[in-house]
Amino acid sequence: MIRNGASKSLESNPSDDICPVCKSNRYLTPSLQFLINPECYHKMCSTCVDRIFTSGPASCPVRYCGKTLRKKGFHKAFFGDLKVERECDIRKRVGAVYNKRQDEFETLLDWNNYLENVEGLVFDLVEGGKEDKMRAEEKLRAYKERNLGEIEANKRAGLEEIEMEKRRERAEKEAARQRRLAAVREAEEEKMDVEKSRREVLEKLASGEGDAREITEMAQKVVLKKSGARRIASEAILQSNGSAKDPNLTIRGLKKREAPVAEKPYEPFGGVDLAPSRYVLQEDYDSEWLANAKKDQRHAAGGFSLHEYYARTMFEAFSGLGVFIEDEMGSKALPAVPSSIGTEAAAEASTGKIKVEHKMELDDVF
Amino acid sequence: MKFNIDDLPVLFPYPRIYPEQYAYMCDLKKTLDAGGHSVLEMPSGTGKTISLLSLIVAYQMYYPEKRKLIYCSRTMSEIEKALAELKALMKYRSDELGYVEDFRGMGLTSRKNLCLHPSVKREKSGTVVDARCRSLTAGFVKEKKDRGEDVQVCIYHDNLDLLEPHNLIPTGVWTFDGIMKYGEQHKQCPYFTARRMMSFCNVIIYSYHYLLDPKIAERVSKELSKDCIVVFDEAHNIDNVCIESLSTDITEDSLRRATRGAQNLETKISEMKESDSEKLQNEYAKLVEGLRDQDEAREEDAFMSNPALPDDLLKEAVPGNIRRAEHFVAFLKRFIEYLKTRMKVRQVISETPPSFLAHLKEYTFIEKKPLRFCAERLTSLVRTLELTNVEDYQPLQEVATFATLVATYEKGFLLILEPYESDTAEVPNPVLHFTCLDAAIAIKPVFDRFSSVIITSGTISPLEMYPKMLNFTTVVQESYPMTLARRSFLPMIVTRGSDQVHISSGFQVRNEPSVVRNYGHLLTELSKVTPDGMVVFFPSYLYMESIISMWQGMGILDEVWKYKLILVETPDAQETSLALETYRTACCNGRGAILLCVARGKVSEGIDFDHQYGRTVLCIGVPFQYTESRILKARLEFLRETYRIRENDFLSFDAMRHAAQCLGRVLRGKDDYGIMVLADRRFLKKRNQLPKWINQAILESEVNLSTDMAVGTAKKFLRGMAQPFKASDQEGISTWSLKDLEAHKEKADEEIIRALREAQENPEGKEQIGDGMQVDPDDFGIDEDDEAAMMEIDA
Repeated sequence: MIRNGASKSLESNPSDDICPVCKSNRYLTPSLQFLINPECYHKMCSTCVDRIFTSGPASCPVRYCGKTLRKKGFHKAFFGDLKVERECDIRKRVGAVYNKRQDEFETLLDWNNYLENVEGLVFDLVEGGKEDKMRAEEKLRAYKERNLGEIEANKRAGLEEIEMEKRRERAEKEAARQRRLAAVREAEEEKMDVEKSRREVLEKLASGEGDAREITEMAQKVVLKKSGARRIASEAILQSNGSAKDPNLTIRGLKKREAPVAEKPYEPFGGVDLAPSRYVLQEDYDSEWLANAKKDQRHAAGGFSLHEYYARTMFEAFSGLGVFIEDEMGSKALPAVPSSIGTEAAAEASTGKIKVEHKMELDDVF
Repeated sequence: MKFNIDDLPVLFPYPRIYPEQYAYMCDLKKTLDAGGHSVLEMPSGTGKTISLLSLIVAYQMYYPEKRKLIYCSRTMSEIEKALAELKALMKYRSDELGYVEDFRGMGLTSRKNLCLHPSVKREKSGTVVDARCRSLTAGFVKEKKDRGEDVQVCIYHDNLDLLEPHNLIPTGVWTFDGIMKYGEQHKQCPYFTARRMMSFCNVIIYSYHYLLDPKIAERVSKELSKDCIVVFDEAHNIDNVCIESLSTDITEDSLRRATRGAQNLETKISEMKESDSEKLQNEYAKLVEGLRDQDEAREEDAFMSNPALPDDLLKEAVPGNIRRAEHFVAFLKRFIEYLKTRMKVRQVISETPPSFLAHLKEYTFIEKKPLRFCAERLTSLVRTLELTNVEDYQPLQEVATFATLVATYEKGFLLILEPYESDTAEVPNPVLHFTCLDAAIAIKPVFDRFSSVIITSGTISPLEMYPKMLNFTTVVQESYPMTLARRSFLPMIVTRGSDQVHISSGFQVRNEPSVVRNYGHLLTELSKVTPDGMVVFFPSYLYMESIISMWQGMGILDEVWKYKLILVETPDAQETSLALETYRTACCNGRGAILLCVARGKVSEGIDFDHQYGRTVLCIGVPFQYTESRILKARLEFLRETYRIRENDFLSFDAMRHAAQCLGRVLRGKDDYGIMVLADRRFLKKRNQLPKWINQAILESEVNLSTDMAVGTAKKFLRGMAQPFKASDQEGISTWSLKDLEAHKEKADEEIIRALREAQENPEGKEQIGDGMQVDPDDFGIDEDDEAAMMEIDA
C-alpha cells in the first residue's frame, strides 16, 4: 500500500526531482528547491541560482534562452505546471488593467462580451505567436493610457470589497467562537447544578426531616425546571446573536440605513383588510327569491335591510377562496440558526483547533 | 378484504390484517388529506410495504386527482420486492373489482440491470455499461446514421422511436423481470422504456438516489408533478444518503486523470476546429444568446447534469470568459493545477467555501461565477464534440461538479484536506474532502416540490430527530407498537458477566481480558441454547478482529465451534456473500452457525435473518461512530450550531439507530421468534432511544442482567416458543379479520362519542378532549348511525 503510493508519486513527474541545469537530484540532495524567474520561466535549483546570479545579472543558463536574469526576480513557483504559472502572471498583469466591474455595464450580454474580449487578449498573450503577442501588448498599453482614472477607481473599489469580505468573515468566526464558549459554559453550569442539587438532597436526607421520597421528587423537579429555563434563555441569546450578526460592521453599509418607519395607528384586526377583494358589492341584485322581500314594506319595517343581506350572502359565498394551506404551511418553516455560523465553527472543529472533546465525555471512539 | 377508512374504500389483498397495519393506513390517509409530510415508524416484518401500497393505490383510484406515487427504497432487492407486492395487489384488485383498472406501475434501475444489447449487457461494471450505452444511443449517433454514415447503434433503443411516445408499454405493473421479457419479445430497450414512461405511470418505484442526488434527480425526476406522493422507505439512514450525494472526494490520482481528460479535450477541440468548425461556432452562438435548450438539457443521454443550481441562474447566459471552448479548457486546466498545488500541503486544512474561493481568486484569477457554470459548460462542450468514450472524462466531470458545488453553496459545506491517511502514516496520500454538513440541503428540493413526503422505516427512533435534521415540519409523526398474541421476541440488556464485572465496549475497557472473556462466555452460553442461526454484531471491523484473535487465544472459539459453525463478515462483498451462503446452508441442515459481523456493515443493512436464519442476535457494544474522524467532528459542530443538536445526543442517536437496525434483522414477521441481546452496560441508559416496539417489549426484570441470568431467561423463552402455536390463537389479537376490524372501528367510534358526551356534560374539560380527538364537537350525526350498526351486529 505504502510502497504503491510512493511509486505513484515518483512516476507522476520524474523531472520534478532533477535540476535541469546542474543535474543534481533529490535523492542525493533532499533539500533541493526549485526557483523560477518570470522573465523566462526556466526552472533551476536554488544552488544554481546562488552560483550563477550572486555576482550580478547573468544570462539564463538554459540553452537557446539567453535572457538576462537577476537574482532578485527568482521565486518559488506556486503551480507545478509552469505554463499555468506564466498564464497566471499574465493574468495578474492584465487583470490590473482590465478591471471593470459588472455593475458598470448595462446588460449582461455587454459584460459577457467584455469578459470574452479580455479572455481573448490573455489567450493571445499566453498562446499566441509573436505577432499576436505584440498586438496584444500594444492593445493593453493603449487601454491603460486611455482609462487611467477609471482603473484606479476600480482598483480601490476592489480592495474595499476584499476588505469588507474579510471583515465579515472575521465577524462570523468571532460569533462562532462566542457561541461555542457559551455552549461549553452552559454544559458546565448544568453539571454544577446537578451536582449541587444532589448534594442538597443528600444533606436533606441526612438531616432526616420530611419524607425521603418527597425530597427526591422535589429535587428532580427543580433540576428539570432549571434545565428548561436555561434552554429557553440560551435560545433567546441565540436568536439575538443571529440577528445582531451582520449589520454595521462596515462603513459602506451605513449609507443604506433608512429612517425608522413611523408607527402606524393601532389596528384591532391586525392589518386584515375586510373590504371584499374578489367581488364588488352591487346596490341591487335581481333575484326572484328576493322579489317579495323587496316589495313588501312589512319586511323593512322590522329593520330588515336588503343591503345587509347582500353583503352577508356574498361574503359567505366568497370566504375561503384563495386561501392556500400549502403556502401557509410553507411560511411556517422551522426556525434555524443561520447555517453560516455553523459552517464556520465546523471548520475549526475539524482541524482540532478547539478542544471540545474533554468537555464532551464521549463514550467511545469507534 | 375490503374495508373503509373514513370514506375511502381500501382493498387489502389478504384475508387478515394486523392492527398496526390498520393504524398505519389511517395515519397515512391523514397525511395525504392534510397535504403535509410525515414520519412513521412501523415494526419490521409487519407488512409495511403492502399496507402503504394498498392504501395509496386505493387513494389514487378513488380520488379524481390521481396523485402519482413515487416510492423510493434503498436496495435493488427491496425495490424488486415492492414491485412484486404491487403486482399482487393489482391482481387482487382486478379480481375483486371484476375489471382491470387503467394503471401503470414501474420500477427504474440502472442500465446495467436493464440492458438487452447483446454485447453491452455482458460488461461487468456499471459505468462501462452506461458509457457504451450512451455511445450507441446518443442523439448525434442517430443523426450520423441518418446521414448515412456507418455507425453502430442499438436496435433496442431505436425501436422505441417507432412506437407511440406515451404508450411504449401496455398498462399494468411491470417488474424488472417482466419488463426485460417484454423488451426481449418486442425488441425494445427496457431501460429507456421505463425512463420515458415515467411521466405516464401511476406508481414509480426506484432508488433514493434518483430523487436525492441532484446530479441524477435533475435528469430523471424533473417532470414529476407537484402533487406526487413521495415515500422514502427504510429511511433511517436518509440523512447520510443526502450528505453523501453532495459530497465529493478528490485525490491526486483523480486530478491527474482529470488533467489527461482536459488535454484530450484540447486535442479534440483543435481537431474539430480543422474539420468541422461550424459546430463549435453554433455552440458558441447559443451560449452567447444564453439559450439553454431545455429539451437538450433534459435529454436522456446527457453526459452529466448540473448539481443543484438555482433556477434563475440556469437561465442566465454562460459567463463570457468561458464561452469559447479553448478558453474553457484553459480555465479547467488552471483550476486543476491550482487543486494540485493545494494538495501538496502537508498539514490538515479545513476551510469554508468562501475562503477557498478567495484564495483561488488570489492565485488563479478564477471568479466565482464562471466556476459555478463549470459543470454546465462541460456538458455542453462534451455534447458539441460528440464524444463517445465519456468514461474517460469521468474524473474531469468530478472536478467540474466539485467546482460548481463549491461556488454555489457558501454554507453548510466544508473543505477538508487530509494529507495523510492516518495520524501515523509517513507517506502522504492527500485527499480533498468536500463534505456536505447539512442533510437538509439535498432533501430541501424534495420537500419544497412535493406536497406529501412520507418517511418511514422499521427503526426510525427517535422520531423528532429527523424533522430537526432535515429541517421540515410534519403533520403526523407516529410510532406503532407491535401487537403480539404471544411474546415472540425477547429483548434483553446484559450489563455484567457471570463474574459480575461490567461489560462494555468503551474505549478504556474494551481490550481488558476480563471484558473480552465475559463477552466470549456470553457468546458460548448463547450458542449452546440457541437453535440454528445466531448473528453477532460488533461496533467496528477493527474491534471485531482484535476480539476474535483474543478469543482464539482464550480457547473460546474452540468451545463455540462444538455448537456452531463460525463465519465472519469482511469488507469484501464477495467473501461476505460466500460466508452468508454457507451460513444459510448450515442453518438449514441443522448444524447451526454463528455469523460475526459489523453493525455498520453490509449485513446489518440489507439482509434479513428470518426464522431459522436468526434465532438470536447479539449486539456486542454500542455501535458508536469513529469520533476522531474530522468530517464527523465538523458535522457534529455544525449540527450543534445550526440545529441545536448536541454532540452526545447525535452520537448516541446514531449508535442506537444502528443497534436497532441490527436487532430488527432477526424478527421478520409475526410467526417468527427470536432473542435480542444488547450486551453493554451503556445500553441501560440509552434504552428509551430504541424504537417503541422494542422498548415496550423489554420487561423491567430484563434490563440489568448478568450472563447466567440472561441465559436462564433465554432458555425459558425458547421453551415457551417450542409449544405448539396455531394461527387461530392470534386471531382478534394480533391479526384481525374483517369482523374484528369492524368491531374495532365501532369501539373507536364509541370511544369518541363517550368522550364527547363527557365533554358536553362538564364543559370545562371539553377543550382537552377535543384536542386529542380531532373531531368536531358538533358532529353528533355519527351517533345514530352507529347505534343502528350496533343493533345489526346484535341481531
